[in-house]
Amino acid sequence: MFSFSENLFLPVFLSGLIFFIGLFGVLVRRNVLVILMSLELMLNGVNLNILSFARIYGWEEGPVLVFFIMTLAAAAAGVGLALAVRVYKVFKVVEVTSFNNLRE
Amino acid sequence: MDSLIFYLLGSVLVFSSLRVVTHKNPVYGALYLACALVALAGVFFLLEAHFIAGVQLVVYAGAVIVLFVMVLMLFDLKADKQLWKISPFRWAAVAFVAGLTLGVTFLEGLLGSSFPRDLEFFSAKHIARLLFTKYVLAFEVLGVLLILIAVGIVALTRSDREDV
Repeated sequence: MFSFSENLFLPVFLSGLIFFIGLFGVLVRRNVLVILMSLELMLNGVNLNILSFARIYGWEEGPVLVFFIMTLAAAAAGVGLALAVRVYKVFKVVEVTSFNNLRE
Repeated sequence: MDSLIFYLLGSVLVFSSLRVVTHKNPVYGALYLACALVALAGVFFLLEAHFIAGVQLVVYAGAVIVLFVMVLMLFDLKADKQLWKISPFRWAAVAFVAGLTLGVTFLEGLLGSSFPRDLEFFSAKHIARLLFTKYVLAFEVLGVLLILIAVGIVALTRSDREDV
């Protein structure tokens, strides 16, 4: 069905691109919510990479691994958002720099 | 035809993920993220991982985005005044990481060219068989982890005192 079946260069490169865009967001933005969203993007890039390679090499554990990663990503988003809510209650802003002041 | 759809989905995916990172308002960011995740589900579908595409739609485009939007509603968010203010050192780190990820995937893509296989292992049936036999322990542990996280999140967000 997929006409790149002889060469999956494009999906693999696309996964790298998505991963990089996510990582860029994590490194550069200051808003905790945007950072969490970028983290989701990174995980999705990883999923795409795993699926492409599972398809290339006929690796049957690939989809199972992707399934686990999706569940964990949802869990991670939940925890991150709970922390953001907590920080917002104290500082009234949701920036990463707020975490530095939590001790006080 | 498939490659046309792939290019379309790929460009939507790249554009919307760039917007997630560059948009000043996180609410729009969440909307663009939803768009990106749906496009990615389309890419999974093209790769013939139909079950994973469905799970992607339900879990990400459904649950995770709803979670993000709900939490966004809790905050009184202003659009960020400045998008980023970071040191040159960090820009260097960004450039390094860009080179690394793009380079590695470029090479991976070139080297991993391959041979067609039967794609029976992408089916829900096959995934379920693996999940409930070989990886049943991991599956159970995941269930326990989810419960732990649900409890943990409730414990984190509710406050004991009035002021905090």
